[in-house]
Order: sequence, then structure tokens, then C-alpha cells
Amino acid sequence: MERSAIPASDSAPAPRTGVEDKGLKKNAIGFVSSVVIGVASTAPGYSLAATLGFVAAAVALQSPAILIISFIPMFLVAGGYYYLNKADPDCGTSFSWVTKAMGPQLGWITGWTIVVADVIVMANLAQIAGLYSFELVGWQAAAESTAAVTLVGVLWIVIMTTIVVIGIELSARTQVGLLAAEIFTLAVFAVVALVKVYAGSAPPASIHPSLSWFNPFSLSPSEISAGMLLAVFIYWGWDTTATVNEETEDSSEAPGKATVVSTLILLGVYLIVAIAAQSYAGVDDLIKNQEDVLSSLGTDVFGAPLDKILIIAVLSSAAASTQTTILPTARTTLSMARAQAMPKSLGKVHPRFLTPHVSTILMGAASIIWYVGLTLVSEDILFDSLAALGLMISFYIGLTGFACTIYYRRELLRSVKNFFFIGVGPTVGGVILFYLLIKNGIELSDPANSESGNSWAGVGPPLVIAVFFLILGFLLMFVQWRKVPAFFKRRPEVVPAGFLEGEAAAPGPTGAGPEEVP
Amino acid sequence: MGQIVVGYDGSACGDAALDSALDLADELDDRVSVVFGYAPPGLWGGEIAEHEEAIEELGEKVVQRAKSQAAERGADIDVELVPKRAAEALLEVAGQRGARMIVVGSFGDPPLKGMILGSTPNKLLHMSELPVLVVPAKS
Repeated sequence: MERSAIPASDSAPAPRTGVEDKGLKKNAIGFVSSVVIGVASTAPGYSLAATLGFVAAAVALQSPAILIISFIPMFLVAGGYYYLNKADPDCGTSFSWVTKAMGPQLGWITGWTIVVADVIVMANLAQIAGLYSFELVGWQAAAESTAAVTLVGVLWIVIMTTIVVIGIELSARTQVGLLAAEIFTLAVFAVVALVKVYAGSAPPASIHPSLSWFNPFSLSPSEISAGMLLAVFIYWGWDTTATVNEETEDSSEAPGKATVVSTLILLGVYLIVAIAAQSYAGVDDLIKNQEDVLSSLGTDVFGAPLDKILIIAVLSSAAASTQTTILPTARTTLSMARAQAMPKSLGKVHPRFLTPHVSTILMGAASIIWYVGLTLVSEDILFDSLAALGLMISFYIGLTGFACTIYYRRELLRSVKNFFFIGVGPTVGGVILFYLLIKNGIELSDPANSESGNSWAGVGPPLVIAVFFLILGFLLMFVQWRKVPAFFKRRPEVVPAGFLEGEAAAPGPTGAGPEEVP
Repeated sequence: MGQIVVGYDGSACGDAALDSALDLADELDDRVSVVFGYAPPGLWGGEIAEHEEAIEELGEKVVQRAKSQAAERGADIDVELVPKRAAEALLEVAGQRGARMIVVGSFGDPPLKGMILGSTPNKLLHMSELPVLVVPAKS
């Protein structure tokens, strides 16, 4: 293929063709942006609002301990993300890594799981965004109307999908702004709540923070697993930071630091807000308002009109997170399409905006159909699908942990550091997540544990939903397999021994397939 | 022999820009360079490289189309793919080649929309030290 089509011309300097120059992705993302990406895709404000009450119901005052324990498996696997990205920076998704380490079939299912999980969580984010839009303007009647909330929720999805498609240049900076607003308001909330607790102006149920809240040993094993099942997933999204290292300035140092910093920010925010919330209101109040802890607390702590700032925190969090959910999902399907694992049209980029518009619009449309469809059929099922989300997240993140160790199996015994960071860490993280997956699966199989209390053929709806999507995934995989078998004939690869020490080259071409070198 | 640098993305307004540039090049006896800037917008999360490769392939197609569009008129043009955003790519190539002017097409977006979307002609008008010719798309 003729790459540099420029005829020699005396006046023109040596032509630079884009193909040889891949300098773009280096130095494109600064340290601050890296941190922002990691924290923003996790959506701390919204995660707290939706989770804190349920955690309190499971472990009472030990929420801080659970938040720390839950962080461990995610942290261990995130180390795996870092190393996988080192060997295969060109794709950077669990889809591609699992394909390389464990073969195309598992890889395909991994990619599918990511897409399904993102579509499901979009419905939830949209609902939060819709609800809080009305809370912000104080229109209670509309906030209580399912139709109105759904309408505005859909509007949010449409806006965010549009923004991702046209790649508005402002949006990157908007994200920084939204996140800053979110973290700042959460911090102000925590400080004000704690000051009121110590000054004695908090409600009678308030309690002074105690070190014993951090003690994991006062929890029974069943409490730990119940709490972890809730709290592990508030760290979902944080893994993004570890995947952008190639694009980050000073790619050997900055991403590591950015990962640590965003970790600390996230863990810090979760702990501080959890402590502040439970000391101010007490456990019972958190449980009572478990569907949405922050907006009721905000009113209490700040009083009008300052209570709006917590609403802004959650709203900006949900809005920002819709964007950081659509964007990577569209890139996952783009990546899959280019690997011939999904229909080719998903790999198209828009000629003017240069974004994967087909993937993005399809992702937005699927989210809207899922969200509106389920709202019409039954809101209980919508909540049950969120419970199913946990199964999917632990599946694909856990599998990525295993993929790291398998992909690097020839490197494991070359140094103690390798052994622990590439071998033990990601595998233990994966094992914990798979343990949670099984535990969660067993619990969700009991109809009594579902939001709706429904029983579908004697099984709880969340498990049925998860299994349904798994089977649908297999069916679609076989369709694609029959149509385009090339991808499914790929053999698992392995990182050659000595790669990390600079003694061996990166494993194989990382692109979509065999590529001739010009 | 002078140089005229054209921004081309395969759209109707790109066609209009290329046409005008070729007309001018005929009259001035200049050589036309077509530039496609392919920086992916919004750098968030992983999978950037896959995205970039897809855009690069699009770029290859687009510049080939420019070449054949020029060939139909019997003109031979230079093409360049630059991994930067359109405006920066055009300025860079124009600088390197000591171009006479930069030619771009316009979608006719209202100014506010252009500002939000990041309009290339708008940016060029403010940033370029060379004359910039903005050609409206033929409707």
C-alpha cells in the first residue's frame, strides 16, 4: 500500500507521514488529566449517594472498614491493568488483553460484558441525572413523577451522546470543572457535618467518629462479604487511570503517580464522606434514606439554599459519568470491530468529528431503549439489573486479573517484584472478585433477595438477567464467528521472557491483525 | 513555484476548498498540498490507539479521494496526513512549505456553534500568519 503519496519536491521539506509518526498519543494527557479521568469515571458523588445507605444496612458502623477492604481487590487488579497496558498499549482494553492471554472466545465475552454493564449502568446514571435535575430546581412533583424523571434522564443521555459524537473541544475541560465542583462540595459537606457533630448542633442521633469504625476484625465473614458486594463496585471506573499510561506525559513515571494520587483521592473522599455522614445522621437515618443518602443529608446539614450544592455534586457526578461511560464503551466496540469481532460499521469514524460515531450512537440508543423499556415494563427489574451489574463487573475485572498473570507467565519468576506485582497481586484480586461473583450469584438466585421479590422460574430476576445476557452474548458471538471466522482463529499469545527488563521486544503486532510494514 | 495548502476532509466543504485551490493554482502556477489532520478528539480512557488507527485509515481514504479528484482535472497534488488537529496541522504544513496561503472550506455554521464545536476556519483566521481563504460549501 502506498503510504507516503507525496512526490519529491525541491522546495518541500521531507514529508512526515502520519503512519510513521505516532507521537500524538504520547504527551497528550497531562498528570492532572490522568487523575481527573480516574476519579471522574468512578463518579464518587453518585456512588456515595446510591451506596452508603445500603452499606450501613449491611455492616452498621463498620462502613469505613468495608470501604478499605473493598478497595483491595480492585487495587490488586489495577496493578495488572498497568502491566497489561505496558505489553499491549495499543488497545488497552480487557477485551484485547483477555483475547491475547486466554483466546478470542473469552476475549469476546469479556468485551460483550463490558458493553452490557455499561448500557445497564447508563440507565442508572440517567435516572440519577434526571431526578437530581428536578431536585436542583426544587420541583418535587416532577421529581416524584417517573415519566418526568425518565424524560429528563433520556435527555441527559442524548446530550452526552451528542457531545461524545461531536467531540466538543470544551468537554475535556468541562470534565475537570465538573469534577472539581463535585469533590469540593463533598469536602465542604464533610467538614460542615463534622464541625456540627463536635459543636453539638447535629441531630440527637449523631455520634462522634471512632477508630473502631476502621476495625475489620469486628465484622463477621458474612458481613464482610455482604459489605464488599456493595462497596467493591463504587471503585468501578477507577481502573481507567491505569490504562492511559501510553498517552500520558512522561509515560514511565506519571501514570504510576497519577494512579496513586487518584486512588488516594477516591479512597479519601469515600472515607471522609462516609464518616461524616454516619456521625452526623447515625446509621438508622442512613438506612432509612438508603435510596439516596446525600440529598436528605444535604438539607439537614446545610439548610436552604446551600443544600443545593450537594445536589450539584451528585448531578455533576452522574452527568460526567454518563460521558465517561459512553466514551470508553464506544471505543471498546470500535476496538472489537477493528479486530473483526463485531460488525465492521462499528469501527467507522466520523469524517468531520473523527469520533467513532456509529459505536457511540448505538451505545446511546441501546442505553435509552434499555432505560425506557425497563421503566415501562417494571422499575423493579431496572433495580434488579443493577444488582446483576455486580456479577458482570466482577467477571470482567477478575478475568483481566487472571489474564495479566497468564499473559506474563514467562516473566513471573524473573524477579521478586514481578512475582508479586504481576503474579500474586492480580491473581489474588481476580480470585477475590470471582469469589464475590459466585457468592453474589448464589445470593441473587434467591428471589427473596431481589428488589422486586419476583421469582422467575424459582430464580431471582438479577441472576436471570445476568445469565440471559451471557447466553445472548454467546449467541451473538456464534453469529459473528460464522460470518467472520478470522478473529476466532487467533491463538493466545504470551509476553516473551525479558520484556520488562528490556531484553525482549513487545509481543507481536498489537493492531487489529497482521499488518505489512511499508 | 508557490504552494497552496488546503484543508480537506472528504466533506462537501472540503471538495469546495479543493476546487477553489486548484483553480487558484492553475492561475498562479502553484502547487497544491492537501492536509488531513487526524488527532482524535477528547482523549479519555484507553483504546486511544485503536481509535487513532481508525482515523488514520479514514485519512488515507480521504487523501486518496483528493488525489483522484485532482487527477480528474489533470492536476498532481501533494498529500499529507498529520497527527494533529486540523488547524494546527494546516499551520504546521503551511509553515514547513512556505505556503502562499491556506484554503479551507466552511460548513457555514453560526459563530457560536463554531466556537463550541471548535471551528477550524475560525481558528485559522485568528492563528494564521498567512492569508486564509474560506470557501463556502456549494449547496
